[in-house]
Amino acid sequence: MSQGEIIESMRARAEKAAAVVSSAATLEEAIAYAVNLTAEEGGTTLAAPGMDDAAREALGKACGEKGITLLDSPLRDKMTRIHTAFTWADRGIADTGTLVLNSNSEELRLATMLSETHVAVLPTDKVVPSMDELEGYMTDHFKNGAGYVAFITGPSRTADIERILTIGVHGPERLHILLAENLDGGEK
Amino acid sequence: MIETPETDKAFKKQIKTSLEKDFLRKTLNNFFTSYRQSRGNVFADLDLEGMREDVACMKDAGIPNLSELFDEFKKNAEAAGSIVHVARDAEEANCIIAQIAKENQVKSIVKSKSMTAEETFLNDHLEKDGYEVVETDLGEWIIQMRHEGPSHMVMPAIHLSRYQVGDLFSDVTAKKQDPENIEGLVKVARKELRPKFIGADMGISGCNFAIADSGVIGLVTNEGNARLTTTLPRVHVALMGFDKLVQDYSSAVKILKILPRNATGQALTSYVTWIKGTNECATAPEEKKIQHMVFIDNGRLELAKDPIFSQALRCIRCGACANVCPIYRMVGGHTFGHVYIGAIGLILTPFFHGKEKAREIVKCCLNCQSCKAVCPSKIDLPFLIKNVYAKIQDEDGGKPFKTRMTSMLLKNRRLFHTALKTASKMQGPATDGPYIRHLPTFLMGEHNFRRLPAIADRSLRDDWKYVKPKVKNPKIKVALFGGCAGDFIYPEHGKAFAKLCEAYNISVDYPMDQTCCGLPTMMMAQMDTAKEIALQNVKAFKSGDYDYIVTLCASCGSHIKENFPKLLTKKGAVPADVQAMADKLIDFSSFMNDVVKVKAEDFMNLGRKVTYHYPCHLIRGLGVEEAPMALLEKAGVDFKACDESQVCCGFSGSFSVDFPMISKTMLDHKLDNVSATGATTLVTDCPGCTLQLKGGIKARGMNVTVKHMAEVLLEEKK
Repeated sequence: MSQGEIIESMRARAEKAAAVVSSAATLEEAIAYAVNLTAEEGGTTLAAPGMDDAAREALGKACGEKGITLLDSPLRDKMTRIHTAFTWADRGIADTGTLVLNSNSEELRLATMLSETHVAVLPTDKVVPSMDELEGYMTDHFKNGAGYVAFITGPSRTADIERILTIGVHGPERLHILLAENLDGGEK
Repeated sequence: MIETPETDKAFKKQIKTSLEKDFLRKTLNNFFTSYRQSRGNVFADLDLEGMREDVACMKDAGIPNLSELFDEFKKNAEAAGSIVHVARDAEEANCIIAQIAKENQVKSIVKSKSMTAEETFLNDHLEKDGYEVVETDLGEWIIQMRHEGPSHMVMPAIHLSRYQVGDLFSDVTAKKQDPENIEGLVKVARKELRPKFIGADMGISGCNFAIADSGVIGLVTNEGNARLTTTLPRVHVALMGFDKLVQDYSSAVKILKILPRNATGQALTSYVTWIKGTNECATAPEEKKIQHMVFIDNGRLELAKDPIFSQALRCIRCGACANVCPIYRMVGGHTFGHVYIGAIGLILTPFFHGKEKAREIVKCCLNCQSCKAVCPSKIDLPFLIKNVYAKIQDEDGGKPFKTRMTSMLLKNRRLFHTALKTASKMQGPATDGPYIRHLPTFLMGEHNFRRLPAIADRSLRDDWKYVKPKVKNPKIKVALFGGCAGDFIYPEHGKAFAKLCEAYNISVDYPMDQTCCGLPTMMMAQMDTAKEIALQNVKAFKSGDYDYIVTLCASCGSHIKENFPKLLTKKGAVPADVQAMADKLIDFSSFMNDVVKVKAEDFMNLGRKVTYHYPCHLIRGLGVEEAPMALLEKAGVDFKACDESQVCCGFSGSFSVDFPMISKTMLDHKLDNVSATGATTLVTDCPGCTLQLKGGIKARGMNVTVKHMAEVLLEEKK
């Protein structure tokens, strides 16, 4: 499979799992996407754990223009009011449309678990065909003690009432994936 | 509270009550149909058999080494700050967890879904100790508030309607909730449970796999509650059975690839959470989570050593054995199981919860093989169920009178066959053509949903010398395994076969020492009798120089091919004569289509409207799907496809006598589907199914003739 085919599979499978997939050529574009989406949804807050200082500065500016609050650490104080989580994804799994997030950071976990909308930037060169190819990543991740990794496929869902698929139980109600060809969040 | 019937009477009463629940029947019917479809779709382009084999092999490699895997896991998890415990039984597991709560001054606890915690009745224990315990999986939360046990391993509240949930949530919120708005009901859970997560001191989760070489546990979930449970509170306890241990990441991936697909038809669940050690937690001392892993034995380590039952530990808790079970479909999990429900529930219950809880439910298996065919780790569930049944009877001492009589009779062929002949003479006044007349109600009871066949005046063996094909220089030499029903009730099936063989220049022997295949004794869990009868049959067929042993009964066929070697294994090896009999055994349709290779030009085209019923033991027992379709096409019939043609007709020998109410409902489904095809002939490959189908059609007065494939081919033969 070529990387192009892998990305296409990633997109198709993620959409099948009810994620919204879009592209971002630059970090500014990704930031604008997250901020605009938050505003469109009527959200007033955005949390962005795992972004470096430059990204946070650009985010702060973009949020300011739309009247959105960029939430600071620690998020424990703001658990009931995180509208959007804006994060990197470390890997993508093409055949299931899955995002892989290094979630060692509690801030990142709180943001991605408690928000209404999760926007994740996925560098296209980090997408692998299947879970099998993540063996090295997982081994590295856990070799130095404690760790927390999340595989995320679409938004939170349930079918516990009459088996009717319903989106958004305890986790984010919406998941947006921004495929980014020339971006890299770096290994965390 | 889970109440599992411990007497025959109570169990039958519960079955009757379940069958009368309209919503349950409707919802489980829909589920039965839609599950097959979504599973089919999600595996469409994948090597399902290879994936199943991978899981079975991986689990089998781990099961003898659970203690070693545990030691390795413990070392790795503790190096990352976790505290690893071992609990010998449920009580000990609950006490360990209560102690952890006490030591950490816990007041409130949130829980994500864990079947193991259901197994130990952990909530009851913790609540008794004064803790607030809140289930956070939507289905679990619902049943917790209703004080019920789960009725399905994956969908615990599948038995409830939106109206029942609506009423419950109206009470919880003290505000009228619209039951038609399911999304609204789901949001009630989101809103109500958020503060519980935020306020909880301790989170308890289950575990889908514990990886030995890294000390990582994996949680496979959809709602996101397990993530919150393992993140927000300062203490996390994961409870798991020893059977959750796997060697490495790639072993876990083998499970992960098949579990969600087989459970819910999803390629992957929304979340897979991998956790190791003491992660960041701002509210914990030193900002490190207090993390405990509790491994429960509760009989698993003994089970791992058992030559027959150890494979039960391959189970990955996908729940599929219930999804495809025709009995689950009829009565649901509160009746068909204790804590663990479905086929695996019948097997695990006596080991985890005692034989009293299993004694009645374990009788309720059709041996239709549906669960075995769908099991992602290839557990021989029907065989294990019969072995559990046998084990309980052995432990109880004394077998039921009916069972002892049957056993005694079947072991002695001459006595058995004499009894059948006597019955054939005695029944005269009670018969109505080939059916038994309406019997006094005290004998018929709930059995009048089908007319029972009379025993034939002359059996196949009585007439064999006239029937035997006259063939010189045969191109194929076969022996016929008649089976009881084929010999004594429907000798016309065997006669049709003999005529066909004569036409195709095939010699047929009917070894007179053959007897019942023994499946009925296995159904009654008389394993010793089943072995003895199997040996008698092996001996009866051993001396002949046959290319094939053909049977017109799919049940006998599947029993001989699959169970004879299992039953007669000696010191880990199958004796050569037993294996030879199993290898030579072939069902009628496969023989005619694949060996004789009959051709379309051999048949007239009578154009009759035909539909087909797959016997369980043909489609799943012997794995034959295409041969009957190919034969009907060659015979030139006007074929009408039937819905659920591969679903059991509800006969299953003594099952239909013991559980007439379930058998009847299954037969109703079958005949409704047959009716809808508009076919006038219903073809099948098993005299047992023939008995059930003919009986039901006669009782309903339907204008459909039931034929064995052999009869149809003979009638169509030029």
